[in-house]
Amino acid sequence: MKVKVKRWHTVAIWQWDMEDSTDLCGICHGPFDSCCPDCRIPGDNCPLLWGKCTHCFHLHCINKWIETNDSEGTCPMDRQIFEAAT
Amino acid sequence: MSSDRLIASEASLSKKRKSSSVAARPSESATGEGSSSRASASTLSLSSSSSSPKPSSSSTTLPYKVLPANPLEHSFARARELEDNKRRRTASNNSSSSTVNSRHIGDENSNSKMSIDPQKAFFPTTNSASSSTGIGLGRAGPRTGDTLKTVSLNGMKGSAPVVRRTDVQGRQPVKKLVIKNFTVTPELPKDYELERWKVLQQAIHAIQESKPVTSSLEELYRTCENLCHQKYGDTLYKKLSAEVETHIHKVVERLLNSNLDQDTILEAVHTAWADHCRQLIMIRSIFLYLDRTFVLQTQGVSSIWDMGLDLWRRLVMNQQEIRTKVLAGILRLIDKDRGGDIISQPLILSLLRMLTDINLYASVFETPFLQNSRLYYHVEGETNVHRFTVPEYLRYAQQRLVEETNRFEGYLDKSTRGGLISAVEGELLERWTDMLLQKGFESVMVAHSLQDLRLWHDLLTRVNGLEKLSIHFGNYVKKTGKALVIDPSRDDQMVEGLLKFKQEVDEVVSNCFQNSELFLNVLKECFESFINTRQNKPAELVAKYLDLRLRSGNKDLTDEELESTLDRVLILFRYIQGKDVFEAFYKRDLAKRLLLNKSASFDAEKSMLSKLKAECGAGFTTKLEGMFKDMDISKDIMVNFRASKMYNKMGNLDLHVNVLTQGNWPTYPPAEANIPDQISQCQEVFKEFYLSKHKGRRLMWQNSLGHSVVKAHFPSGTKELQLSLFQAIILLLFNDVDESHLSYKEIKQLSNIDPKELDRTLQSLACGKYRVLVKHPKSKDVSETDEFSFNKDFTASLTRIKINAIQLKETQEENASTNERIFQDRQFQVDAAIVRIMKTRKQLSHTLLMSELFEQLKFSIKPTDLKKRIESLIDRDYLERDKNDQSLYKYVA
Repeated sequence: MKVKVKRWHTVAIWQWDMEDSTDLCGICHGPFDSCCPDCRIPGDNCPLLWGKCTHCFHLHCINKWIETNDSEGTCPMDRQIFEAAT
Repeated sequence: MSSDRLIASEASLSKKRKSSSVAARPSESATGEGSSSRASASTLSLSSSSSSPKPSSSSTTLPYKVLPANPLEHSFARARELEDNKRRRTASNNSSSSTVNSRHIGDENSNSKMSIDPQKAFFPTTNSASSSTGIGLGRAGPRTGDTLKTVSLNGMKGSAPVVRRTDVQGRQPVKKLVIKNFTVTPELPKDYELERWKVLQQAIHAIQESKPVTSSLEELYRTCENLCHQKYGDTLYKKLSAEVETHIHKVVERLLNSNLDQDTILEAVHTAWADHCRQLIMIRSIFLYLDRTFVLQTQGVSSIWDMGLDLWRRLVMNQQEIRTKVLAGILRLIDKDRGGDIISQPLILSLLRMLTDINLYASVFETPFLQNSRLYYHVEGETNVHRFTVPEYLRYAQQRLVEETNRFEGYLDKSTRGGLISAVEGELLERWTDMLLQKGFESVMVAHSLQDLRLWHDLLTRVNGLEKLSIHFGNYVKKTGKALVIDPSRDDQMVEGLLKFKQEVDEVVSNCFQNSELFLNVLKECFESFINTRQNKPAELVAKYLDLRLRSGNKDLTDEELESTLDRVLILFRYIQGKDVFEAFYKRDLAKRLLLNKSASFDAEKSMLSKLKAECGAGFTTKLEGMFKDMDISKDIMVNFRASKMYNKMGNLDLHVNVLTQGNWPTYPPAEANIPDQISQCQEVFKEFYLSKHKGRRLMWQNSLGHSVVKAHFPSGTKELQLSLFQAIILLLFNDVDESHLSYKEIKQLSNIDPKELDRTLQSLACGKYRVLVKHPKSKDVSETDEFSFNKDFTASLTRIKINAIQLKETQEENASTNERIFQDRQFQVDAAIVRIMKTRKQLSHTLLMSELFEQLKFSIKPTDLKKRIESLIDRDYLERDKNDQSLYKYVA
């Protein structure tokens, strides 16, 4: 007597690949898991961006910040020039 | 005829025209011409001219500028002419006194000069013009100098003699116009009026005694006409009314003497009245001429008909005895009619018409009648309200109202309608409204008797009782609804019961209460109030009810039925305050339906979603929509995956993965399990594929939400089993151990499934409806010492067997975790509310803060929980306690 699996419907949950995915974006204070305040659905349309300084933000959030004059292109967390980690 | 006579008649003519006593003396007639104002004007001008005949001197004294066509000059000219005439006339008087030559005025051919004062001939034509010029200083009329030559007498006589005065000097002989007086007017015989009246009187008497009239009506009419012509209208009228009056006196006497009782007097009065009217019509016809001339022309005299009615009113109906008897009789008749006896409607109609005709209906009949009616229904209502059941009583009241309304068709005057109907309504309904509502409304609602309820509404509308009705209706709804909601043992049927109840009351409101705003509002308020008497549970049950309807395997509903059910449930949802509770449970159930592929219809799901969106706004459904989106994306990914090269590594396992976005879905505790190597490898292949497509992510397997199809070979045949992943993992363990048993502990170790989950899974496999495993020893519950083996004797009529229904069931832990989740979410709302209040108030005592919070928060929460939140906010430096007063909070900016 044998059983054999024919179909396997399973479920996976995706998260951003980071140490603590419940962490909050330093700019919008929303969880990385959910999207930036301007987007409705988390996912590739609202990705995250890591800087070389190891700080991470919603891409839309950090873009908005960099575009302001006050930012002078710095990371809001450590005031160093923000460069995206490749 | 002498000239004197002529002049006299002339003078009388002028007197007629001017109504001023102009003397026959021609000298004076000049000054007395025209209307009085004109006369004074001429006097002025004449006197000035006579005192100083030189026109130049006169004109210089005048304050007016003398124009060439100055009217003043006319008056001078006229004055001169008058002088001439005077002279001429006196001359003719002297000379032609002997020549009496009477001629007709109309004789135009005679060239004789008529002795007519030119002034008189002159003025009739110019009168209007000159009088319009007032004093004569204004605009001049026709040029009088010219017109003097031809003067028409048209206006004076009717014939048109033209008097031609050929010679201004008046030397020719003057002919005289003689006017004769009338011959003696025919005189009436002295007793003419009396004689004629006698004829008429006879006729009147004949009519009054209902005897044939001897003279012809034509003749009588003429007689009356003649009398009127001879100005006897006044006396005729007086005599006639006296005649009628005496007759009515007789009638009254007869009525009084015949000693009639209440019933017979009605007949007697009715007959007398009918006779009176008939006679009056006849008399009026004869005296029509009098009615048309004398009565019309004389003020303060009423027509013969009105006179007759007036006399009747004064003499008959103001007779206390008759009036009382008649009134009492009528009222008794009406009471009899109400009592169901047959009465003579024409009789009562005629009597009431009589009262209306003689203007006594409103003043004499109406008030006693209304009082009587009120009394009647006061008594009857009181007996019946105790004798009948409530619906019976209502029907009785309705019946009575219809009857009373019909009475207006029958005999009552329409003017009484408002008074009578409101009296009946007042006595039968208004007086008892509260009692009836208390006694009988609820039972009617319980019996769901639409007809009775409609009657309730109709009757209470009449007496402004809808407000009361709505209160009782609301109380009933609240009471019944609360009974449905409050009992935990009947939770299973709660939503079904509520839906049915809602449908019933809706039917009542729309069918019986005319869907009026009042009742709709009451309904809404009451549902909101009772459905929220129990916290959270109704919301949860509504969500679960929807889950049951939307789940597959519900074949008893057509699409339309399903749709309408969803709509109805949504109305219940609208009343529920705990929308967050609903959302949490709905989401959990939706997740299961989607992931376990148990949704009956994707369309129905979407339609429900859009309904919720319309009801609560987009924010409410964002996450739910995200769930659908995840399902769609997963489908796409699987299509791509199957098309990719990596799919070749899969072997013949049909793998399907739903990739979820964490935030959209309910949170699930991680469910560890040792997945068989073969499957685990396949999952890894997919993971690799997925992460290659979506950088920067990671995948976590959620085993509790998966399901699988497994082929199992039993001695009795091959079966396809639909299993949860845990069930499949456990079954696969038995592949390796052939005939022998596996102990609980072995299974636990090999599968690495959470003990609670393991217990449930083993139980479902070995103790459920389909027992694929055999438990040793056999019992209903799984314990750690049990052993399991394959069930070789498994038989089932179906080839496809679903054993994973267990997954759809909500476990207590799930329920608790959902509730916990709701509570957590609410804490944020509480925090926000506290901060909001404190930010505006700056400082607030504990009790005030609490009461404001209870007002603001849509859900009920225990004061201790609120206290915890306040403490937490103090810890986080949002608030601080006052140093002196511990119960006073201050907002920390």
